Amino acid sequence: MELRTRKLLDRSFSGLGISAIALMAIALLLILTPIIWKGSKAYIFKGTIEHRKVMLDHFDRGDSDQLEKEITATELIRAPIYRMLETFKTDMKEMSSSERREYRSAVRELEKGLKELFGPPPGARKPVLIRQQYGQSRWDRTHVKLHELLYVEEWDYSNPDAMGILIETPRVNQFKNTSLEPLFSYIENNIDEMMKPRNTFYWQFLTDKSKDSHIFGGIWPEVLGTIYLTIGAMLFALPLGVIAAIYLCEYAREGKIISLIRICISTLAGVPSIVFGLFGLAFFLNTIGVSESKSVLAGALTLALLILPTIIRSSEEAIKAVPTPYKEAAMGLGAGKWHTVMTIILPAALPGILTGMVISMGRAAGETAPIIFTAAVSVGAPIALFETLTQPTPALPWNIYNLCTEHEAVDEIRHVQFGMVFTLIAIVLLLNLIAIIMRARISKKLRG
Amino acid sequence: MKKPQKKSNLVVSDTVGLVRSIQSKIGKSFLFLITSLSTFAVFFIFYFIFKDAIPFFQIEGFKEFFTSSRWYPSGSPAEFGALSIFVGSGLVVIGSILVSVPLGIAAAVCLSDLLPFKIRQIVKPLIEMLAAIPSVAYGFFALVVFAPLLQNQGGIILCIGTWLVLGPLAILAAILLSEFIAKIAGHLSKNANQIRLISLSLLLFAFIYSIYNITSQLLTIEISSGTNALNVSIILGIMALPTIVSVSEDALQSAGRELREGSYALGATRAETILKTVIPASLSGILAAVILGIMRAIGETMVVWMASGNASKIPTPWYNILEPIRTLTATIAGDMGEADHVLGSSRFHVLFAMAFCLLAFSFIMNLTSEIILHRSRKKTGSS
Repeated sequence: MELRTRKLLDRSFSGLGISAIALMAIALLLILTPIIWKGSKAYIFKGTIEHRKVMLDHFDRGDSDQLEKEITATELIRAPIYRMLETFKTDMKEMSSSERREYRSAVRELEKGLKELFGPPPGARKPVLIRQQYGQSRWDRTHVKLHELLYVEEWDYSNPDAMGILIETPRVNQFKNTSLEPLFSYIENNIDEMMKPRNTFYWQFLTDKSKDSHIFGGIWPEVLGTIYLTIGAMLFALPLGVIAAIYLCEYAREGKIISLIRICISTLAGVPSIVFGLFGLAFFLNTIGVSESKSVLAGALTLALLILPTIIRSSEEAIKAVPTPYKEAAMGLGAGKWHTVMTIILPAALPGILTGMVISMGRAAGETAPIIFTAAVSVGAPIALFETLTQPTPALPWNIYNLCTEHEAVDEIRHVQFGMVFTLIAIVLLLNLIAIIMRARISKKLRG
Repeated sequence: MKKPQKKSNLVVSDTVGLVRSIQSKIGKSFLFLITSLSTFAVFFIFYFIFKDAIPFFQIEGFKEFFTSSRWYPSGSPAEFGALSIFVGSGLVVIGSILVSVPLGIAAAVCLSDLLPFKIRQIVKPLIEMLAAIPSVAYGFFALVVFAPLLQNQGGIILCIGTWLVLGPLAILAAILLSEFIAKIAGHLSKNANQIRLISLSLLLFAFIYSIYNITSQLLTIEISSGTNALNVSIILGIMALPTIVSVSEDALQSAGRELREGSYALGATRAETILKTVIPASLSGILAAVILGIMRAIGETMVVWMASGNASKIPTPWYNILEPIRTLTATIAGDMGEADHVLGSSRFHVLFAMAFCLLAFSFIMNLTSEIILHRSRKKTGSS
């Protein structure tokens, strides 16, 4: 081949490799950006007056006098809406029955839209569900609901080959030449005053209980459940894993049994996580019965099995990385093997072991499949420490799944879902960051 | 064991020696017991999954499970044909491997041979981050962000994907082909250089034009549902990337410096060195990486459960990845909630049968990769 072509091929080969790395970085960016961007909006957003009402009523937060003033102001400016509605209803009584029938359903939809936007009308009975007691608590959701109020959505299926086409007509057309006509422009122009949006930093999203299945409030039960499960799994897996690593490194003589153990460890690492879940159900719950039904304990045990191979491997590597002169010096001073391990090798290997621990904590926190059948429930209060032996708990990974597939108001609580994913990823990446920093320090120490 | 002897009794009496040796034996066997716990765990997992899988085959037999694609576990009579579910799992694995293997190996080569140390220090944490993101977060992304995008802008996304795959391939093919043409033409005339340039530009134009034609047809495709095999394959491919990259990078690194230097000394370029010596030398390690990637993809639950559409039918034609599918893991996760109440029924046990298939598959895969890695280690160790 011509030298020039070979060089060209060489360059394009390098280009391919670098573009592979670039694609990977782009993929990471594409995945993380929407989650971080929208997830942070669960914490920082424009909250309306309704949000502040919820905070005061259910979490005792905020200045009640100030809020009282704001509520009167908003009610004052909202009042004409309901007045107009009343006037129109009295007008309707004088219409012919066919006209009345025509308007009745339109008015009903309008009232429903108003209820979703501003909460129940003044003087109405207090609804049972918390979500119906308040209007939209977030400014972005307010806009969505406002749009639904101002426009009627219709689907055009006239072309059977294509998908339906969305047609939006202004709702005001339904009420042309009636007393309700000015209502729509009035709402549109005064929505700011009616909702009083204000920049809100709702850090308590992390530490609040949820109200009315996540319509309001925060994600503390899930966060707490995840913490319990992670630490529980670590409590079981860390001692076992470190002891196994010590044995494999310092005591074991390579042979048939040891290679069997090694094969088993790598097999354990390769078992699909859902199979761990089934095993947890069949063994920990149905056979030895660590608890009556799902419990944090059973989940932690299952997760411990899942992360055991990781812990063994990383501890083994950490122990192997301890320079042999350390060991020889200890032996030379007359220390026994166990004494050497406990006083010399383990302290020297500790940072490495901790790094492995932190990484597997991140793994345990994010695993979903093993806890579906053993520990997780969809709704629940935060549980106390002693209840972990018998009670199931909500957990971040499971509730992310649950909220975005099985919740009855999936679209209404997107921000909660994104907030949960954001929180979970933040926890996991934080743990990994700690591990990376620790590793960098260790390697610096070993080099320096 | 107890504290060590005081410094004064250096001479150890017989009884103390005996006690000590017994102590150390007990301590050792205790350590051994704990170490073998993971072995017990593996046997227990196999035993308990197998134990609950057996009743299904006793009641329903093997034939329907593996050959029928009618999956109606709650119908009456219930039908347990899992063929479509096996096909779904297989399809997703193939798709994700097609995404992750070329990308992963290219990235591994880049990491081990092309990038300077400093940039490598930045890229490695990036890969670790990809590995650390929980599967449910990937699933959430696939369902909430990617699926609507695929449904609304499917044609454009398919186009971008096609350009990303075929574009580089077209350039490489054009260079190689023009070289070939120039070689033949070199025998006939002296202007081989000009011929090469002309054929290169002509070929490039032809390839790009044909890709353009393909993509303009792809643009008209409308994807009826964003939760389909394509979505899951791409996301699973991204999830399998870190495993493939790190394992095959290790393999490439262990091929050794001497090999590379030998190749350079013979006058090979970097690309030739990597393609003709380094990759063949570390092929077994790369194969092990691919196997581990397959295991990661087939064992993944949350992404496929959330974003595969969970339709238990074989796509028509079978390779149509724009249709929703259903996989083994998703079936286990999704059906266990309902089957839990009917403990002991076929409906309950069929899920264990599926889990056993998964377990057996991943066990065989794992063993294969272990053997391959072991052999390659032996080979590099001895040479």
